[in-house]
Amino acid sequence: MRLMLTASMLLAALPALAHHSGAAVFDNTKKLNLKGTVTKVDWTNPHAHFFMDVKDESGKVTNWNFELASPSILIRNGWSRHSLKEGDVVTVTGAQARDNTSLGIAQSIVFPDGHKLSFLSAYEDSK
Amino acid sequence: MNKQVSLAIGAAALAFASLPAQSQGLYQHQPPVPKGPAPKLADGTPDLSGVWLGSGSNDSDITKGLKPGEQVVMLPWAEELVKNRKSKDDPEANCLPSGIPRGSPYPWRIAQTPGIYFIVFEGNIHSWRQIFMDGRKHPDDPDPSWYGHSIGHWDGPTLVVDTVGFNDKFWFDYKGHPHTEQLHTIERYTRTDLGNMTIEVTINDPGAYAKPFTTKGSARIMAGTELLEYICQEDNYDLQHISGPALGPGGGKE
Repeated sequence: MRLMLTASMLLAALPALAHHSGAAVFDNTKKLNLKGTVTKVDWTNPHAHFFMDVKDESGKVTNWNFELASPSILIRNGWSRHSLKEGDVVTVTGAQARDNTSLGIAQSIVFPDGHKLSFLSAYEDSK
Repeated sequence: MNKQVSLAIGAAALAFASLPAQSQGLYQHQPPVPKGPAPKLADGTPDLSGVWLGSGSNDSDITKGLKPGEQVVMLPWAEELVKNRKSKDDPEANCLPSGIPRGSPYPWRIAQTPGIYFIVFEGNIHSWRQIFMDGRKHPDDPDPSWYGHSIGHWDGPTLVVDTVGFNDKFWFDYKGHPHTEQLHTIERYTRTDLGNMTIEVTINDPGAYAKPFTTKGSARIMAGTELLEYICQEDNYDLQHISGPALGPGGGKE
């Protein structure tokens, strides 16, 4: 029972985003699972982030903004500014902003060849 | 949703929220902390050099990182303020300094030069503190500032830093524990061996707390890295998306 509680607590948690609470921006009940094409990567502080065009069933394209940790955290966890680039087709899972805008946190980024990145790390075994 | 992803993220957030050196769960596959005795400079002064990760308090909730036996007793106005503070107003979220003793998940260095030491922060908006080691006293009427006026001395192996002259703008933690311009801090930095440091901070602010209290935290050497650039003001686009009460970094009010 105690283990189950712990697991559910962990699943409910949103990450620390280094200078504000993840839960203050993102709603973990608004899960995202979107495939699209990366249009831009901003390797900036306080968060690296990338933009991705996602087409819905009606053909309408939305440009999502996906948040990552800061470049310094990412670099120390195996990412580089070349890990994700314009034109990459990826599937992103994460959570949407509480204000329902097209801002999300990218909890995992999966490439067609199966390799993955997370908002925090490029190490496969830590995801 | 990949369960393992959530677990790893959750574990990082939880570790961040509950340990004195909250940031350590964020970094993975790091080189081991170096082992050996605490080093000394040529003149015998303890050598605090290195890239350090950690801090003297719990930056999620300062009341969770106290020295055993200590207690935080807020004055009623402070208690009321903590209940009502909003996450979007946290200076940290606005890329303003985190003051003393709040840490960040980013490393820092101490630079020891004759008569003056500097603490250089990667996080904490890429700012720095100066600690006068030349025996001077505090000014009589210092202008209130984010880091105050710091004077230091050695007590055996421990660097003791006494600071007054703070402004009242920074928060002690994500929860929003406040202070006033009467704040007086005494930090005690002890490098216990090559890779580790203990940090205790006594907080005395009769304007906000019924009695002084002391926090206890730690830092460790972050091997294999240097300070990197973190210009928080560059692109703080998500401030406009922040809502809700002041929260711990893992998302809980606690």
